[in-house]
Amino acid sequence: MSDHREDWLKQLDERSKQKQEQFLSGIAAKLNRPRVTEKPQRPLRGAPEFWEQFELSEADKLDMFQRNFEAAGGYVLSAATLADASSIIASKAAELQALHVLRQDVELLEQLGLEQALPQVNVRSWNDDQHEDWKARAAEADIGVVLADYAVAYTGSLALMSSKTKGRSVSLLPTLLVAIVPRSSVVTRLGEVLKQFDEPQQLPAGIHFVSGPSRSADIENDLTIGVHGPGIVYTIIVDNL
Amino acid sequence: MSTQQTELKGTVKERAELALNNDFLRQAVRFTTERLRSGKLKAAEEHGNWDEWRERGRQIRLHTIAHLDYYLGEFANNARENGVHVHFAETAQEAISIGLEIAKAKQAKSAVKSKSMVTEEIHLNQALQSIDCEAIETDLGEYIIQLANETPSHIIIPAIHKNRYQIAELLSEDAGETLPPETSVLAGYVRKKLREKFLQADIGVTGCNFAIAETGSIVLFENEGNARMVSTVPKTQITFMGMERIIPSWADLEVMATLLPRSATGQKLTVYMSGITGPRRAEDGDGPEEMHIIILDNGRSLQLGDPEFQELLNCIRCGACLNACPVYRHIGGHAYGGTYSGPIGAVLTPALQKNVAEWDDIANASSLCGACYEACPVKIPLHDMLVSLRRRKVEAGHDNALERIGMKGFATVMSSVKVYHSALKLGKIGQKAVVRDGGIRVKIGPLKGWNSYRVAPSISKQLFREQYSELRSELGQQAKEADPAVAARMQQWLTGRDGGASHE
Repeated sequence: MSDHREDWLKQLDERSKQKQEQFLSGIAAKLNRPRVTEKPQRPLRGAPEFWEQFELSEADKLDMFQRNFEAAGGYVLSAATLADASSIIASKAAELQALHVLRQDVELLEQLGLEQALPQVNVRSWNDDQHEDWKARAAEADIGVVLADYAVAYTGSLALMSSKTKGRSVSLLPTLLVAIVPRSSVVTRLGEVLKQFDEPQQLPAGIHFVSGPSRSADIENDLTIGVHGPGIVYTIIVDNL
Repeated sequence: MSTQQTELKGTVKERAELALNNDFLRQAVRFTTERLRSGKLKAAEEHGNWDEWRERGRQIRLHTIAHLDYYLGEFANNARENGVHVHFAETAQEAISIGLEIAKAKQAKSAVKSKSMVTEEIHLNQALQSIDCEAIETDLGEYIIQLANETPSHIIIPAIHKNRYQIAELLSEDAGETLPPETSVLAGYVRKKLREKFLQADIGVTGCNFAIAETGSIVLFENEGNARMVSTVPKTQITFMGMERIIPSWADLEVMATLLPRSATGQKLTVYMSGITGPRRAEDGDGPEEMHIIILDNGRSLQLGDPEFQELLNCIRCGACLNACPVYRHIGGHAYGGTYSGPIGAVLTPALQKNVAEWDDIANASSLCGACYEACPVKIPLHDMLVSLRRRKVEAGHDNALERIGMKGFATVMSSVKVYHSALKLGKIGQKAVVRDGGIRVKIGPLKGWNSYRVAPSISKQLFREQYSELRSELGQQAKEADPAVAARMQQWLTGRDGGASHE
């Protein structure tokens, strides 16, 4: 079965490569010129120059992130230490009577000590057991806890990159999302995060920017929160990390 | 659940009349477009330097399309490196048959879909249904439209034409119980219902807002989280993309991410912006195991090398031109009769199908006011394109014989001062029989079309031409030299107008 699938995919790929030549030559012909095979010179790339100069002070960055994230319906709290962050999460869990909490399998999040802080709650760590059905664990979770790679002040966005220990489902399927952001990871512009993906490297499969709770205005322009993704989103900015 | 609606039913005028008779539709479209439009204007102003960003967006799109063969090849090769199976389809049929081949190989029973105009364009849902694979739209608005067996009437808000009572009725039928017409209850029902569908689905189908050539990534913008679901939960992901969706780099994405959400809804960024680079890595705990990208032409290449229409491929599908268009705001999306509505649809639909004759009436559903161009974040001259379409229609001989004769007569009269003058004099006498309250209202002969909706003005008793010599001598006494500073500024402005940013 698996061999059969491999063969089939190989066939598809072969067919596609042949088709690609024909397809691209067709485009060049329409453009009335031979195929372009060298990387074209570009007079400009990315955002306007003046924008690249735009840089906020640390206090302004934090302030702007909070304003934008809250305007989109999210919450921003600050914590001096991981222990403070942990007690914030514990109190939210108690308030919501959460039964299942799922966190990414990251050292910093382990240091939150949620297992000890929430003895009544089933706290699981993403992907630490290959045989577990992790999608189902994420779907049943009331709270998902993630470590954001960056927070972008100007757009009020969290940047989350997937990896073995950082599942995409943890920030997507639970009802409530908590993102931990080290204070030093707050940047001014979206471009500061995006540009590093242009460096030669293997990118993570999923790069997700999250700017508040899931929303829709599809029914009579009436704003609805929590349509498919988490309806409640907390960002906790931790000073000493 | 057919969504077939590209067959033109009647003329744009007949479809518009249907829309104009629907009070709710008219009010809802006006309200929604106004909300989106003012949101956009506010966001653009708050961001600042909007025209510089628009120009930057335009330059990026122009450059990419001018070198599309290179960037598309680069994208395909890099996506393959990431483990994606890339496919090229010249026609809708080809795209469908590739999609179905994949679905059959997976023995797929259901596919969950996030919003994609391309899949609307190729009628993917019916095709999947034909092999007993249930196709489920998961965007809230799209799900409602699918239940109603209709097509989206707005790129961004597909169910703009439905009120919550109608929506409650549709969802109640779907639920098998009566749901109250309350937004939160209705949305809650859809959340629960679709959760199950996401978790059961064999295939996730997405569109593609942008594809990044240098890394082979696709980028999706959305607010609900359904595109993330579709690209995270099912084992197989199929992404359909128009071949023009390419941008070179992530740095360029910052410009698009600045222009698209602000232009579409006035947001600084959509709630989710996802860059997906291949299927899950071996060590990952989630994400699709297998990922396909189907790159579609379907008439897009007809625009390449056509100086009047190539810029159409710069479109980033934000819907700002719909919200700005005085015609769209009155008649709504369905009156346009195609997958794409509003000014962009009026040009794109005939352009993609190359059958100008059949779609010509849509090009006429525009007042050529240029509001679409003003609103466009990548400065596509849509109003010029509409004029070109009309011209091509006439050149192809699809014009109105009566209009042609009329225009000839007009040309004869206008090209001679004497004839024009006598015609005016004759008209002044002749109109006496039909002028009422200073206007002409009879709906006969050549006046029928105009007077069905308006009142034709009568010829004035005292003609401007007759007063002109008098006026000129009066002006001659008053006229003074223009302020030299003003004159210089105007001259400078005139010169600057020719030196605008040029196309590559």
